[in-house]
Amino acid sequence: MRRGVIAVAMVVVGFALQAVTYLFLATPIGKPTSVRFSNPRVPFAPALFILGVMLVFIAAIVYELLPERGDRRGREGEGS
Amino acid sequence: MAQQAQPLPYGVGRTSRTWVAWAVLLAALAIAGWYGWSREITEGMIVTGLRNIGPMGGATWGLDVAFVVYWVGVSFAGITVAALIRLANLTALKPIARMAEALTVIALVLAAFAVMYDLGQPFRGIVNLFHYARPQSPFFGTFTLVISGYLFASLVYLYLDGRADAAELAKVPSRLQWFHRLWAAGYRGTPAERARHDRTAFWLAIAIVPLLVTAHSTLGFVFGLQVGRPGWYSALQAPAFVLLAGVSGVGMLIAIAAVVRRTVPGAELPERVFHWLGTALLILLLAYLYFMVVEILTNLYTGAERERDVTRELLFGDFAPIYWASVACFVVSAALLILRFVRRTAALPLLVAAGVLVNLGAIGKRYLIVVPSQTHGTLLPYGTGSYAPTWVEYIEVIGLFALGALLLALFAKVFPILPLNRATEGGDAA
Amino acid sequence: MRDVARYGMVIDLDRCTGCRGCMESCKIENNTPQGSYWMYVFRFEEGEFPGTKVRFLPRPCQHCDNAPCVKVCPVGARYKREDGLVATDWERCIGCRYCEVACPYGVNTFNWGHPEEHYYGDWNAEDVAPEVRGTVPAWDNPSLDLPYGPEQRHIAGGGHLKGVVDKCTFCVQRVEHDLDPACVQNCPVRALVFGDLDDPESEVSKILQRRPSFRLLEEAGTEPRVHYVGGAPPSAETKQIEPAKAEV
Repeated sequence: MRRGVIAVAMVVVGFALQAVTYLFLATPIGKPTSVRFSNPRVPFAPALFILGVMLVFIAAIVYELLPERGDRRGREGEGS
Repeated sequence: MAQQAQPLPYGVGRTSRTWVAWAVLLAALAIAGWYGWSREITEGMIVTGLRNIGPMGGATWGLDVAFVVYWVGVSFAGITVAALIRLANLTALKPIARMAEALTVIALVLAAFAVMYDLGQPFRGIVNLFHYARPQSPFFGTFTLVISGYLFASLVYLYLDGRADAAELAKVPSRLQWFHRLWAAGYRGTPAERARHDRTAFWLAIAIVPLLVTAHSTLGFVFGLQVGRPGWYSALQAPAFVLLAGVSGVGMLIAIAAVVRRTVPGAELPERVFHWLGTALLILLLAYLYFMVVEILTNLYTGAERERDVTRELLFGDFAPIYWASVACFVVSAALLILRFVRRTAALPLLVAAGVLVNLGAIGKRYLIVVPSQTHGTLLPYGTGSYAPTWVEYIEVIGLFALGALLLALFAKVFPILPLNRATEGGDAA
Repeated sequence: MRDVARYGMVIDLDRCTGCRGCMESCKIENNTPQGSYWMYVFRFEEGEFPGTKVRFLPRPCQHCDNAPCVKVCPVGARYKREDGLVATDWERCIGCRYCEVACPYGVNTFNWGHPEEHYYGDWNAEDVAPEVRGTVPAWDNPSLDLPYGPEQRHIAGGGHLKGVVDKCTFCVQRVEHDLDPACVQNCPVRALVFGDLDDPESEVSKILQRRPSFRLLEEAGTEPRVHYVGGAPPSAETKQIEPAKAEV
């Protein structure tokens, strides 16, 4: 279950990162009335957004690849 | 362990003289495309046929932009087919899963190149997009969701879906064994692992489909939100983009599957696969033709003056040859597909012809979306403009097709292009 | 806190003679390369002979309040200043030309080649030297390389480097020193007027109070800062005497 928890956590964090970056860290959206609408609030916010997207999908790799505790013992008994 | 290595399946690791000859030709064309780009970088985009809208009477977005849209469109079908195999349990289509996944990844790489070709400051562009990209611009979605997110998601999907095959190949000593071991990452094929992969693939498929619909819609929004460009400003753009993406992607997949069937040793692609693809293509094509009719009717009826001008140029004016050629491609394809569907003939050549034709039609249509609204669609009366691509743009286009084919050919030589036949794959009974 | 001006321009179409002096002075002031015309003057012909009418329409960048070009710029190189000028930061621009396709007015110019190969005028030529009398050539004008505004971005002048977009800046390098844009300054019939629309004593405000005005392509919702008095907006039948085809 550990792997499942980690994977779900990564998905949640990934989406949260995307939402937070899009709404609060990247350049504000709105009718442009000043230079504020041309600069991100946090530099490289778009990179953070992409990181969030990537986290969601890396969760899948983590879920499949992360060894469970006790797996090694179980695997020895099975053929391929 | 010094035994004779068994041959790997589907020609992996073995190259014939024909293959090498093709690879060399494709590499040469790809390099030629990059040479064209190098001229853009050193001399500026003046080497293209693009020019400013307005007092220069030109089009500032041309062939390269049309192909950005085209390649992103083609990438749609690949992963959608792979995802649908999982979600709708379309086991009949499993044989094409791998080439579909590869097609998506390769098409997105080509799209990324096409974007670079079109930027005036491409290297500054990479840095500045990561640094400053604005969510309000439709390009934000194109850059983050499409080129970065969608490409990454497709790579993850391809990687995970291929692990079982990689594990099979990793058992065989070969020059590529290290690569297969790396990809397999300890996959043993236990029931637990298979079940886990099924769950993961299922959820990945569910996650990827909204991502790619958003991504293609964003690309449609790049055009559809522009009030200043008659012919672009339309609510239909986003859905039309998604549909034409499906059409061109499925068509490309058919063509690739046919080539694989002919050239890859041992590749058995049952007729069922092609039948499904043909049906899917027909449905998407008919839907897209419907969109085209709606668009034309709306613009011609009592459309705003400039919309009507642009539409008239498409139907009867400067762009009529390309327009009607594209329509012909679509209509003939539809006819071929309907014929195949109704007569239930196994005429693969007809299907491949349809697949190729819809792609030609899609290329024409992408070009027609991009250019006429600039040369003939200025809201202020500058006069009629013109645009003709130069050799730089043509060689870049050819180079990208060659690069795509080369990447696919290389992939097929390091990894099986068809999923290996395993009795208990994904929970199905043998 | 200093009140920020709300700059705008008023163009009197009854006065414009189509001399295109504004186009020339813009080019010399801002160093735009060959084929790039930030200020552009339409020359229209309407009607059938013998009832033909010829009229002219100067078209700078409209510096819209709801500018489509600002909205679509992927990296924020194109932005709206508080005083209303829509500026282009040539240090940030990546040359995607999205602003150019988004603009309903067609005011954007892209630097297709190396701009230094396409600058205008040999300041040292025999017939030119006595006219310019040792002034600094446009491409050496240091004020075009400086950053401007509280945000200190590089937004003045054109032809800085290949592969970026630029457009009319309302001569920001002049406006920052309380001068009029070059086109306004050089118009021989004072058809162009520039000033603070929020100042009721400014010439632009006074003209707009006195005379009915229109803006170009109002239906596009761009809220331009350029107002036209006299004349009429181009209609569906309006055509230029010759189609525009500047070459780079």
